[in-house]
Amino acid sequence: MTRRRRRWSVGHLLDGFFFVFAGLAAIWLAYLNLSQAFQVGWAGVLLAIAFWGLLAYLVLPRLHRILTTIYVPDYFMGRTRTSDGLLGDPVNLAVLGEREDIERAMAEAGWIAADPVGWGSSWRIITSTLRRRSYPTAPVSPLFLFGRMQDLAYQQEVAGSPAQRHHVRFWQCPDGWLLPGGRRVDWLAAGTFDRAVGLSLFTLQVTHRIDADTDIERDHIVESVARVPGVRVDVIRDFATGYHSRNGGGDSITTDGDLPILDVRGVRSPDAHISDAKISDATAPGHASRGTSVPGDPDAAVRGRAAQGAGDMGAPR
Amino acid sequence: MSAQRHPRKRAAFEPLAPPVVRNPRMRRPAATVAGGVLVLLRAISGAVWGASVAFGLPPWLRSVSGFANGDNTIPTDQTIDDLGIGIEAFLGLMATICLVQVVFGILLLWGSNVARVIVMIVSTISIAAAFVSWWETGVEITVATSLVTLALDILVLLALSSRDAAAYARRNEKRG
Repeated sequence: MTRRRRRWSVGHLLDGFFFVFAGLAAIWLAYLNLSQAFQVGWAGVLLAIAFWGLLAYLVLPRLHRILTTIYVPDYFMGRTRTSDGLLGDPVNLAVLGEREDIERAMAEAGWIAADPVGWGSSWRIITSTLRRRSYPTAPVSPLFLFGRMQDLAYQQEVAGSPAQRHHVRFWQCPDGWLLPGGRRVDWLAAGTFDRAVGLSLFTLQVTHRIDADTDIERDHIVESVARVPGVRVDVIRDFATGYHSRNGGGDSITTDGDLPILDVRGVRSPDAHISDAKISDATAPGHASRGTSVPGDPDAAVRGRAAQGAGDMGAPR
Repeated sequence: MSAQRHPRKRAAFEPLAPPVVRNPRMRRPAATVAGGVLVLLRAISGAVWGASVAFGLPPWLRSVSGFANGDNTIPTDQTIDDLGIGIEAFLGLMATICLVQVVFGILLLWGSNVARVIVMIVSTISIAAAFVSWWETGVEITVATSLVTLALDILVLLALSSRDAAAYARRNEKRG
């Protein structure tokens, strides 16, 4: 109940007022700026650039924030949200395990943790993109789920430049939280492929454009992680209806709606993937390429089916 | 559905401006830095403007600092005598304003919520006054008059009212 009291405190009401007032004032400023841009000759070019900056980085985000607060519900709907509140990349992966398990599995699968977004890392991703230099630990923009920024972010650079990369963000689920349908998972993740740097359709900001077929990236992540000994894969088929939509940057996205669940709890003890385990698994049909298991695990047959399911996901529909 | 089966139902909406997560160890966000630095820049430009009026520094310096400072209504060819106040009083006034701005700028950078709210109130009043005079009496707001000043006010307000800045200023508030 304290939560409710806090929501309506004078301070928060004031915050809300200033938030909206600043947005309106910024629209006015953008208008004044644009009207000036046509009146001051060549200096108008500078003002026009200032107008774009104002619009893209201050006015529109604030407007989006205000409007999405009103009309985008905040419950889980299989989509992340951008810092402006727009619907972002689809949630297309779930994980069972602790943070350390994920870190270990991702590291073994050849994924590199992203630097936190900061002054230095932001500057470096801009310069390395412009000069086409490699930046393997480039930061990943914040996306929100459960009202929180991602807890972990991993990436794989492509072609030695941060312009193109595989990347995936992880969020820890709140305690006791269940997926729609009632399954319990520990983490949710959203993986997409950044194919180029461009101008966003919705926000007019310079940002990464993502590949429309998010299923390819999802399957790439599953495939790479499933190779790590001790990782098991299960799939919730048609978790979401297959859909076409746009993410927060205005890029098209399509998905078949399947939700693979990576169980990385087996990665926990390094002893779990001694050579014995690998050999025994390699002999089981359907397992060899998809994942290995802990010896003596009673669920082996179930997992075999799950692994087959994961194998199907890449098939065209 | 019993509450027992669904222990943690989440609200279907989120509050508009309040920060999402309170974290005392949160890093100072860009919005807070922008707000604090803009206020400090105004203090500096105010000091330069005051000095240029009092000591007859070049007029371009005076007009540039006047823009940023928000006090460019006084023509650049006027001297301290035209203002009708003594040089001591003038310098004292300018120093006081500058000092207040410096203090607020530093408090903002430290993440003081009181300073944030006060600066936002002052900016809001200033913006509202500019808007009323523009709308009602048709006062033109151009680069040559008060556009830069107004822009600074609005930028300060935008920066300080953002969720990041609010979260930082409230980072030490107790959770409910």
